[in-house]
Amino acid sequence: MDYPIWNVAMGGGVLMAWVAITHVIVSHFAIGGGLIIVITETLAVRRSDPELRELARRSSLVLILVSTVFGAISGVGIWVVAGLISPGAIAALIHSYVWGWAIEWVFFVLEIVAALVYYTTWDTISKSAHLMVGWLYFIGAYLSLVIINGIVTFMLTPGEWLETHAFWDGFFNPTYWPSLVLRTGICILMAVAFLLWPAFKAGADRRPDVVRYLGWWFLAGVTVSYAGYRWWEAALPDTVTALFLGEAPTLAGLAATRSFTLWSLTVALAVSVLALLLAPKLARGLTAVVLMAAAFGFFGGYERLREGTRKPFLIHSHLFSNGLLVSQIDEINRTGIALHSGWVAAGDPGLENLGARIFAAQCSSCHTLDGYQSIRDALPTVADMELVAADDPPGTGEVHYRKQCSACHRDIEYQEMAGVLPTLEEIRDDPEIIRELNLGMITTTVIQLREMGVEITAFDRETTFDMRGLDRPSMPPFVGTEEEAEALAAYLASLDSAATGGER
Amino acid sequence: MNTDLIPALDAAGLPGPPWLFHGLLVFTFFLHLIFMNLTLGGTLMAFVANLRGGGRPADADSVFARRLMGVNTYAISLAITTGVAPLLFVQVLYQQYFYSGTILLGWIWFNLLVLLMIGYYAAYLHKRFRGPWLGVSAVAFFAIAMTHVAVHLIHVQPEKWAQFDLGALSVLRDPTYWPRLFHFVLAAVTFAALVAAWWAVRRARAGDDVALNTTIARSAWRWAIWATVLQMVDGFILLGVLPKPVLLGVMRGGLPVLGPLTVSILFGIGLLMMLARVSNPVEKPGLVSGTLAALTLTIAVMTVTRHQVRVLYLEPATSQFQATVVPQWGNFTLFAVLLAVGLGTVFWMVRRVLTSPAEGDEAA
Ligand code: HEC
Ligand code: HEC
Repeated sequence: MDYPIWNVAMGGGVLMAWVAITHVIVSHFAIGGGLIIVITETLAVRRSDPELRELARRSSLVLILVSTVFGAISGVGIWVVAGLISPGAIAALIHSYVWGWAIEWVFFVLEIVAALVYYTTWDTISKSAHLMVGWLYFIGAYLSLVIINGIVTFMLTPGEWLETHAFWDGFFNPTYWPSLVLRTGICILMAVAFLLWPAFKAGADRRPDVVRYLGWWFLAGVTVSYAGYRWWEAALPDTVTALFLGEAPTLAGLAATRSFTLWSLTVALAVSVLALLLAPKLARGLTAVVLMAAAFGFFGGYERLREGTRKPFLIHSHLFSNGLLVSQIDEINRTGIALHSGWVAAGDPGLENLGARIFAAQCSSCHTLDGYQSIRDALPTVADMELVAADDPPGTGEVHYRKQCSACHRDIEYQEMAGVLPTLEEIRDDPEIIRELNLGMITTTVIQLREMGVEITAFDRETTFDMRGLDRPSMPPFVGTEEEAEALAAYLASLDSAATGGER
Repeated sequence: MNTDLIPALDAAGLPGPPWLFHGLLVFTFFLHLIFMNLTLGGTLMAFVANLRGGGRPADADSVFARRLMGVNTYAISLAITTGVAPLLFVQVLYQQYFYSGTILLGWIWFNLLVLLMIGYYAAYLHKRFRGPWLGVSAVAFFAIAMTHVAVHLIHVQPEKWAQFDLGALSVLRDPTYWPRLFHFVLAAVTFAALVAAWWAVRRARAGDDVALNTTIARSAWRWAIWATVLQMVDGFILLGVLPKPVLLGVMRGGLPVLGPLTVSILFGIGLLMMLARVSNPVEKPGLVSGTLAALTLTIAVMTVTRHQVRVLYLEPATSQFQATVVPQWGNFTLFAVLLAVGLGTVFWMVRRVLTSPAEGDEAA
């Protein structure tokens, strides 16, 4: 929160999502592809099967073009974007886990060199030497997963680490093994989804065999993924699973994501059994596209679930994704955010401008002005009030109320609210009242966010927090003095263009 | 100095003593430079040579360009791979400055990824389709160099962050920007040229296409000479335009700072003399290898100097913070062992591959 702010109109989170999605798909493909290609080559040598050899060979071009460069660049991309949008949080993570990453780098070097050698030595070296290179590639690639999985799972379920802060407690955390199994399955799914394309190039007579061969791989991938997924869910703390499981999940959106995830896997299973195993002659480009979509759907759904349940933390129960440490809340509330960050302190001390800088420091890592998670949209405006009060044509008032107001007024029904609201004419006559009302609502909301921090500081810091009881479980608290809360509220209220004559 | 805009040190502390991270940063950055030089210098030279070759595939210039781009297939991947490690270690030591620098550059820094992608795939497209792709690749890599120099100069000058916040491109007006950029670009060209010359000499000595390889070796040699001549001029300009406190720091730094600098300047002059003594490299293979080795050593020493200059730039800022050290010796040891095993495996693999040639049905 004390770093300068990078303003991205689309939202840093959206950019990160794009880079991360690309990276995880390509990197899992690079691992699973390595395994399938080298086993395929081994079988080809044993059975002297030229068609399998061709499959391995053609696939290795895709592997090198895509994974050694695209995978590597997108991996660097995650660093680049994370450093741009959550520098403080990433710095904290690196300070605890730099040796983990350093070790991962060693495996990465092995993986890349082996990939380059493997691809260029077809037809020029002995079969056994070539196979050895292929296996080294897979070992390097898989070991890098073994390492990074420790860090990624640590972020969601730090477990004992919260108490001991010991590297290996965090590394072998409660979801380490389930997640490793799950990701191993996903690696295979990603790989088959890509390898179907080179497989379709096989000679017409052998094509069904080759396709069926990949079908068995895919089936194995589905089975392993499903087992890993179930185990992963079971290993999550109850306070986390309650966010998306059960009768009344806290986050309905995540519950929907979960069923999407499992349905995707079901579709993948059905299509692969039908089109790859039972009737491989029928497999076409379209089959590959459907399988790819279903496999990506499953993978993407799982990743979204993992990120969604971790929100608003980068390291659960320890560090918020905007860089705020749980242990800092008290102090910053006392001394103020301006003392903490030179970028907030510097510049025009006017209330609204100070508020704008506080917003940038604390909120802009998740909220954009008008794009993703638009803050202007989330706040009440005079125009919103007019729409709700007018209720014209009848029924629209309630719709607007649900959309614009009920996030903060969950326990008040529309009818009740309509009773206390001024009429449209009254609002038009004196919009100032509404501006005052809105400023009051926003101020109270910010104060509530500040109080949420006080609640959080009372949690036991050595266990995983139960966020369900909080008003806004997906958000970090506001931290700062009461004057700073007012400044932030003043700025937020000024975002209503009607309030400033359309200046902003 | 006013340190207000500098973010706080991370509370978790350094997972090892600072000298260890300084050492790892410098060492891995040196590895990165080797492959970066081949990529950047190679692509720039290939671009010019390809133009000179004028589309005649048998022309020595065209062959030269093809060879450089052949090496690039690997060099680019390895430049990225070796670049990851210094990126990691710089974040450990200089997070407060480095992230701030990248944030002030914003999209320009992000575009590094886009440029890398363009640079690599354009090189690939050039090999398949010719056309303008080589130029695209060269421009992309040059722009990446520009980005790196920009982020470096911004991150080492926190006292100017408020000014960069108003417009990060003002870094182009920093007096050291262009000399610094060309210092790296010229070194890249020299290195790639010497590697190309060394290879051509080897092949000529082995009796392979002697005439062609001699021409290529000569032409690469000329590239190296001219780049080094310009480098001498540029290097002294760069030294001259360094901010006063930094220059004074260098002068007063005693043996640890002046030593490497002097050694690398002497090496530079020595290099020029070695380069100038040879008119036909094929006749003096020992000198060619020696020159390449000397250049590699110069780059290694210069990497140390570069790092020391950064330390001096940042001294007023870093002296205000006291990093706590919470060493994880066990994990470091694990890393060191795995690094040794990993590199050992890579060497073993490459050896095995080189000693297992096969043809026809015997081949993979
Ligand atoms: C970690 C990301 C994150 C940060 C940082 C964040 N928010 Fe939010 N915010 C959210 C999410 C997610 C929602 C949607 C809430 C939900 O669906 O439960 C939200 C919703 C809101 C809403 C709508 C009201 C509501 O309860 O749904 C307001 C107002 C808001 N945030 C203000 C802020 C302010 C002010 C800050 C800075 C002090 C801030 N947010 C920081 C994630 C964040
Ligand atoms: C960001 C959260 C938020 C949103 C969105 C929001 N409100 Fe409020 N509202 C509050 C809070 C908090 C209060 C309590 C204010 C106080 O106590 O001063 C409040 C109070 C009110 C009151 C006064 C009730 C009373 O008993 O005094 C009315 C009326 C109201 N809101 C109407 C609306 C309408 C209509 C909308 C939709 C256009 C809306 N609010 C949207 C947070 C919000």
